[in-house]
Amino acid sequence: MKIDMSVDLGKFKLKNPVMTASGTFGYGYEYNQFYDISRLGAVVVKGIAPFVSNGNPTPRVAETASGMLNAIGLQGPGVDKFLNGEHYMPFLRTTDATVIVNIWGKSIADYCEVASRLDAEREGITALEVNISCPNVKAGGVAFGTDLKLLNEVISAVRKATTLPLIVKLSPNVTRIGDFAKAAEDAGADAVSLINTLTGMAINAETRRPRIANLTGGLSGPAVKPVALRMVYEASKAVSIPVIGMGGICNGIDAVEFMLAGASAVAVGTATFTDPYAPLKVIDGIKDYLKRHNYNSVSDIIGALEI
Amino acid sequence: MYKNGEIISNRCLKGDYFQVVFYHPEIAAQARPGQFVHVQISSGSAHILRRPFSINNTDPAAGTVQVTYKVVGSGTSELSGLGPGSVCDLMGPLGNGYIMPEDDEIPVMIAGGYGTAAMFMISKLAKNKGILLVGARSDADLILLEDYAQTGCEVRAATNDGSVGTRGFVTVLLEDILKNPVPGRKYRFYACGPTPMLLAAGKMLCDAGREDGELSLDHVMCCGVGACFACVVKVKDGDSFRYARSCSEGPVFSAGEVYYEN
Repeated sequence: MKIDMSVDLGKFKLKNPVMTASGTFGYGYEYNQFYDISRLGAVVVKGIAPFVSNGNPTPRVAETASGMLNAIGLQGPGVDKFLNGEHYMPFLRTTDATVIVNIWGKSIADYCEVASRLDAEREGITALEVNISCPNVKAGGVAFGTDLKLLNEVISAVRKATTLPLIVKLSPNVTRIGDFAKAAEDAGADAVSLINTLTGMAINAETRRPRIANLTGGLSGPAVKPVALRMVYEASKAVSIPVIGMGGICNGIDAVEFMLAGASAVAVGTATFTDPYAPLKVIDGIKDYLKRHNYNSVSDIIGALEI
Repeated sequence: MYKNGEIISNRCLKGDYFQVVFYHPEIAAQARPGQFVHVQISSGSAHILRRPFSINNTDPAAGTVQVTYKVVGSGTSELSGLGPGSVCDLMGPLGNGYIMPEDDEIPVMIAGGYGTAAMFMISKLAKNKGILLVGARSDADLILLEDYAQTGCEVRAATNDGSVGTRGFVTVLLEDILKNPVPGRKYRFYACGPTPMLLAAGKMLCDAGREDGELSLDHVMCCGVGACFACVVKVKDGDSFRYARSCSEGPVFSAGEVYYEN
């Protein structure tokens, strides 16, 4: 029996529900040497700003129990190089990959500028993911994602700057995630994605120094999965737009749990660092689960949690 | 028949220094000097991140890859406890590697601590016998000197405590060779070791007009393939710097392209 793995995200469809989490898959190019990235539901590229961004001092990552902290600080080429550099969008246009571009800025004007630039050269771009949740940059990022009024302002403005489908990537560093998901929907988002990383710290007791130069970093990996599942569940109850779930997904069963909790699609992030093939293995794992449980469409398990 | 990534042997060289030999014919056949392998040490979630190790040596006929490492944390500690038959997932060979010397050049390898491991294949494969300049705190941190000597390489050591060779840093040995070159000999310079040592050696090479000397730099690494931007190092960009990924743009950078803080 052929299993239908496609999912409908409202404004667009994916061939399967497994995407890459922004910041963990470079610009697609880096992993195409391992496999054809068009096999993925979507490739979500590392955050693009209207300007070149140097990122944070090193060390930028630290391993923690069942997870890791990072404070890369959104190092990136800027939208000009992204649209024209051979290893970026021009490369992605040579593939059949479904491309979602993650965008960020330090101000609302920055977000609008990068959105309208991408809108104007949208060939090969399926959607934009608006990053209002990076905990590692001083200006912009999470400041927009932890204040309902600022969230409304930035998403409403970006909504006017592009007709591309908009996914709003939410921060878990808030008390009531449902309010933020709803605010994104009200401001014109076509979907929400969550969670970004949880702000954390790691200290080297021997040297009495922080293990990340930025002092704090974002926690990801299996350690955050229970928090992420709870937040995806709450967000999916709060909105009628599709929810994209992520946070510690390492295998097909992890992904199925997120879909049962209400996610219409999922993203694999930190697991790709352990195993470049992790996103493909997640697709296969979901298929195995569906076969075992006699589902013929992956859509049937979205929100199918029985309480 | 061995599995890919299977450990053939894993032994203590001395103190905290260990040497592991993996079976991996594809990597053994492809690896060039200065490249690295990215090793998944446990399959559970105890170690989310792989650990990068310079390739110390390969035996393409036997299909083996040798890594010499120091136990510095939980990952290397776990690795040191794995015996023959254990299997690790290996990615590699990764990184750009060193440019091998021309046939008329003598390789001068500037090493600190376990950085000594990364340049062994230069010594092994170069047409001319090389010179190893090696620095360490004391005799306890000098490794692989006999391996180099067996390739015909001349070994000059410097230790901070004077227990072996010249007292002082390895840069004293480098300064000597830069200031007193043997007439008619062409040298090519390579370095691997702790970052402060590499930056000091790199500056000295630039001051001597040897910007073509090659330094193997890195930082705490994550993906190993250029996707995550964790392992960046500073390289020149006009009057300032940019962060270059040591895994995919390096780990080998020329002394002339590295950015030196004032």
